[in-house]
Amino acid sequence: MLNHLTANIRIFFEGAYYSYRALFRWLRPATYLASKVFAPLTMMIFFVYIGAYASGSNNASFYVIGNSLIFAASSGIFGVTMSVGGERWSGTLPYLFGSPANRWAMFVGRAVMHILDGMLGVFIGLGWGILLFGLDFSHTDPMALLLAILITTFSTSGLGLLMGCLSLITRNVMLVNNTVYFSLLVFSGANIPVAELPRWMQSISQMLPLTRGVACTRTIINGGSLADVLPLLQVEFLIGVMLTILGYFLFKVFEIQAKKKGTLDIF
Amino acid sequence: MDAITVNHLNRVFKSTDGIIKRKVKEVVAVEDVSFEIRQGELFGLLGPNGAGKTTSVKMLTTLLIPTGGTATIMGLDVVKDAAKVRPRIGFIFGGERGLYWRLSGLDNLRYFASLYYVDEKVAKKRIPELLEMVGLKGREREKVEGYSRGMRQRLHIARALLHDPEVLFLDEPTMGLDPVGARELRTTVKNMQSANKTILLTTHYMFEADALCQRIAVINKGKIVALDTPEKLKENVQDLTVVEIELYGISQDRIARIKALDFVVDVSVEDRDQRQVLHVHTPKGPEAIPVLVENLNGLRLGRIITREPTLEDAYVRLVGGTEN
Amino acid sequence: MLLAFEIELRQNMTDGFVLFGILIQPLIVAFMALWMLKGKGPDYAIFVVVGSGMTGLWTTLLFNGGNSITGERWTGTLEPLVASPASLRVVIYGKVLANVLQSLLSMIGSYLLISLIFGYPLTLSRPWLFFISLFVSVVSLVSFGLILASFFILIPDFARMVNTLEFPVYILGGFLFPIALLPGWTTPLSYILTPYWAAVALHGAAQGTLGTWQIVGTWGIMLAFSVVYVLASGRLYRVILRKARTDATLDIVGS
Repeated sequence: MLNHLTANIRIFFEGAYYSYRALFRWLRPATYLASKVFAPLTMMIFFVYIGAYASGSNNASFYVIGNSLIFAASSGIFGVTMSVGGERWSGTLPYLFGSPANRWAMFVGRAVMHILDGMLGVFIGLGWGILLFGLDFSHTDPMALLLAILITTFSTSGLGLLMGCLSLITRNVMLVNNTVYFSLLVFSGANIPVAELPRWMQSISQMLPLTRGVACTRTIINGGSLADVLPLLQVEFLIGVMLTILGYFLFKVFEIQAKKKGTLDIF
Repeated sequence: MDAITVNHLNRVFKSTDGIIKRKVKEVVAVEDVSFEIRQGELFGLLGPNGAGKTTSVKMLTTLLIPTGGTATIMGLDVVKDAAKVRPRIGFIFGGERGLYWRLSGLDNLRYFASLYYVDEKVAKKRIPELLEMVGLKGREREKVEGYSRGMRQRLHIARALLHDPEVLFLDEPTMGLDPVGARELRTTVKNMQSANKTILLTTHYMFEADALCQRIAVINKGKIVALDTPEKLKENVQDLTVVEIELYGISQDRIARIKALDFVVDVSVEDRDQRQVLHVHTPKGPEAIPVLVENLNGLRLGRIITREPTLEDAYVRLVGGTEN
Repeated sequence: MLLAFEIELRQNMTDGFVLFGILIQPLIVAFMALWMLKGKGPDYAIFVVVGSGMTGLWTTLLFNGGNSITGERWTGTLEPLVASPASLRVVIYGKVLANVLQSLLSMIGSYLLISLIFGYPLTLSRPWLFFISLFVSVVSLVSFGLILASFFILIPDFARMVNTLEFPVYILGGFLFPIALLPGWTTPLSYILTPYWAAVALHGAAQGTLGTWQIVGTWGIMLAFSVVYVLASGRLYRVILRKARTDATLDIVGS
């Protein structure tokens, strides 16, 4: 029993490790730096300046925080989707489904490294904020900030797992992914305060991951305590759990359907 | 006990055509297939492309649910006991896909070892042994991307053996390999068999089945048309002689005319560069040549020889006429 | 060139990723910008239409101009292309032009979004100047695309770097905010980018903030750039082809 558990834990972490390596090994250090450090910065600058142009005042911290968390979403959605959907590309699905491995450990393990990667992205974003836009952390509770970032990255990775499963079914996964990603830009409150959106859009915002995470992180950085944001964080966490379960469920459905209809080798 | 039993296995694929008028087309890929494979046997499933070989293997490896019939591996049902079957079998599908190209060969093996619950200590010992066996030692830290086709296919074999399975399924393992690579791979298969594993090998190369397998099932259009040892299969055609005639540009109705001759049992045509080679199966032997030549007058003829029938001729007779 | 144009168009229309670049992404950018700039009043709606359209234009130019070359590499058709008697430059010009014209859809898309769905009044204050500016912008951007495409051929790794080039040009081109907000040292960088001049002309003509002669001046700058790009690309392509044939890199798939 215990042996089996450790074996599954191994599948979980090795899956995480190898999927990450497979994804990033082709990147040369310079390209990695460019996509991880430089590209997010330029996007952040773009929105900070539109914001500055709009309000005429310096409200950089709002956009810096919002866009930093968007990086978590980008690594959650794109990284995880690629590592699940990549199985289709590499033709490894039949071999995975033919193995006795625990499907849950195999599937969810894929998200782990990308959560860490996403958190790193958030830190880089906030780091740029300190360096370039005078982001002020003097009133920030570091542990609470860490927790908020962790939970937000987790919930967006849950979305990534779900999208990854969709990528096993549809062909145009990059299209769907990009649409979801850019919708998060609109709905999550990263660049437009949620309260300013029309009512119907606000209700969509409330259903998505990231929205609460962005709100919590802003509160914490501006001096709020963990207790202030805990209820929101709990919901964010719950959304992540639900997305992960939904993703796993879809994955199982896909496996069963593939075996019944014989569609495993289409890819 | 038989390692593999297959009873009246069936598989129908449904495909839908069109978006508005949905026509459901049914394709029978495997029809009423039955056979048994003894433990330690190397069994060949031989047939042309699209005969149902891969579909059969997929059902036996728990990747596809049969639409009828049953199959067991080591006494376990492949549908009901799929979870118990998986750790006991290893399988490879021909071709080079199905590996993580961006990882090294070693990483690929390590990951699959964990997916098969191979104990870490055991894996540490076995992986180098397998690498040695498939001749990848020294290259294991390179990315699979940079491997040749043959190396990838051999890595697949190592992958399939990681958990020391009792039964192995090799679906066209030499597909697309150059002659040298294919020969190396066949040696590897031979070695595995001497390690007392039950192996089901599918191929559309005759000589491969002849050289490796103890028994061969010939499958065509989803049905088994013959099942025997290679020697017995050859006996089917032993009373015949094959006349081979090289020629340039033969028309379909000429072939039909030859086929209609009373002493001709079977005719097949093979393309070789710009020439064609006509294989005529006949009990008459060399005596048939003058009549054949007469029927081919007006065509440029090349070399004409007679020879003993091979397993290939038996196969061609079983699956009927020209290959491809 | 017409044929290259047509083939590129046909391939793109079936590619979801391209449609995303042309339509969805600029619409989302337009939506966000519109919302963020709401406080500046309804006059800014046309500014957003033009600006977000420019982002769409640049993104397609960057990704597709390059991807079509990378695509040729992948499918192994780059070699026959180079070997064909048609000038490579002409073929690529056709491809890039197809991409740029398609991406004008994004401007129309955000125009419809903002006027129909959000009900902002949209008027071009100097329509003739605007459309001529648009034409000149397309010419200059396509010429710029020629140079870009050559980088894709020369540097197989370039395809991976393009992500990084998307937003900097949004910023330096002053698509959605004036470059005066940026630190002074970046201004020369903007000046050497033809997308910047295109944005100046289009924004100016749409909002009526620039005089006729000022707009005509930007045309002159853009056309001058175009001439330089086309001439430079002539040399560049000769060098590329020579190098590629000596190094045998035409069939290398950036791995």
